[in-house]
Amino acid sequence: MSHAITLHEITKSYDGFTAVDRFSLEVARGTVFGLLGPNGAGKTTLIKILTTLMRPSLGDAFVEGHSVLTAGKEVRRLIGVVPQENNLDRYLTARENLTLHARLHGMRPASYNPRIDELLEMTGLASRGNDFPDTFSGGMQRRLVVARALVHEPRVLFLDEPTTGLDPQSRRALWDYIRGLRRKMTVFLTTHYMDEADALCDRIMIMDHGACLADGTAAHLKDAYSRAHTYQVEFKRDAERYEGVLAGLSFVKAVEREGAVFQITLADEESIKPLMDHLGGADIRRICLKEPSLEDVFIALTGEKVRE
Amino acid sequence: MFKGAFSIWGRDMLVLRRSIVSELVSVVAYPLTLYLAFGFGLKGYITAVNGVPYPLFIAPGLISMTAVNAAFDESSWSMWFHRRVQRTIEEYRVTPVTVYDIVIGKIFSGFSQGAVKGSVVFLVILALTPFRIDYTHLPSYLGCIALSSMTFSCLGTICGTVIDKPENIGRVQSVIIVPLIFMAGIFFPLSSYPSSILPLIELLPTTAVFEGARDALLTGAVPTHYLVNLVLSAAVSFAVAVYVFNRKMAE
Repeated sequence: MSHAITLHEITKSYDGFTAVDRFSLEVARGTVFGLLGPNGAGKTTLIKILTTLMRPSLGDAFVEGHSVLTAGKEVRRLIGVVPQENNLDRYLTARENLTLHARLHGMRPASYNPRIDELLEMTGLASRGNDFPDTFSGGMQRRLVVARALVHEPRVLFLDEPTTGLDPQSRRALWDYIRGLRRKMTVFLTTHYMDEADALCDRIMIMDHGACLADGTAAHLKDAYSRAHTYQVEFKRDAERYEGVLAGLSFVKAVEREGAVFQITLADEESIKPLMDHLGGADIRRICLKEPSLEDVFIALTGEKVRE
Repeated sequence: MFKGAFSIWGRDMLVLRRSIVSELVSVVAYPLTLYLAFGFGLKGYITAVNGVPYPLFIAPGLISMTAVNAAFDESSWSMWFHRRVQRTIEEYRVTPVTVYDIVIGKIFSGFSQGAVKGSVVFLVILALTPFRIDYTHLPSYLGCIALSSMTFSCLGTICGTVIDKPENIGRVQSVIIVPLIFMAGIFFPLSSYPSSILPLIELLPTTAVFEGARDALLTGAVPTHYLVNLVLSAAVSFAVAVYVFNRKMAE
């Protein structure tokens, strides 16, 4: 069996609201899989189902071949979870937090003590092992939560928005740890940060309203879903006049203006020639094809409306 | 089996050890004040109850009250705090332990806190007052306290599981737990009640807790009907606590 995670027609409804709708997915072992979606898209619901915190209304999910419905204990033995919030025990030191986790996994001191030393070292917390989490910065707490999830050497690691609220340095440090896990275990990541998904994930799925909208590598998604006919044009002068000209062209689908810089979306690739004919060349300072980003793909698929 | 429960209990005992001095000072102060105020203050007015000197009459109840209050407090607040504030219950639930491990671990933590704090109050009353007992009665008294603490620990677990707002836990304590404790005859004999309501009072689990504990400490035996009440209360509250926790976690 080559899939670490399989979801088969998962549906989750609460009081008439469908959070996840007949969702199916297979994640290859040893890959970093990223699930993107706006607030309320159903990402956390899927993680809760896969980590046995929530039962699906319909369908079944499997982690390393074990059903979340009938073999929850086996599933939990194989997974590590980094939740959205740092749910550390503030009355235990950093080391004691890791020790309790190891004991809950039935590990013996002879196996968990060296592992905890190794993880504290890896996360840069070796000198703070006997301190309480309340004395840590947000980034240090997050690293401790990641270390805790790795104590029992899980085969599948779930990271639910792991870098939310962290400063850029802490984010980069956490990315390095996650990159280091690639191939050693399967990583299932949810995030709001497109650059994070772009930098870390072998495969990305964008979901909304409980359903999959797009699936593939970052490069594939950019190619397939970005607005490939968007050009950035900067004028030397007469920006107002050109705004009027652009508004009257039928093959111009959208125009966004910031000062003298226009972002022009054309109906198709062939429209670039008539566009140049209408604009002429004298007043153009710069024209370039806008490189698509994963965020463009995300917005194109999920819309610009802010979610509750 | 129950390795997870033992680990969770171990965590709670480690935390208790760290704050044992401040915990015990606050726990001892309240029953000791009541003992000194009632035991000595009213000694001149109430010399004996059913032939038992008044300070000796109220001492077992105060020790039991400390134990069951500690059991309820620890279970309710700890469960609420781990569920709503730290969200560590969620961390426990993504490990191979079962919900039974979690609820049993928490109930035993409450029970252990009750036992430790009740014992300390007992020793303090013994050291500072003329209160003396026949030590051969101690095993039956401790058995009684164990069952009572188990019941209150389960009640605390139920409250900590179903109540989301902390002020409501305080309300349950002042509206249900404290009246149940004071109605059960810690400070006065049950014979003071009108005969029409006495049978109802005798059915209260707290009556079995305090009357049973007093009889155990003073005579070495727990009356059968109190013993049955204690065992049934512990068993039913345990079953309800496990059921309620299981349901809440499934939501």
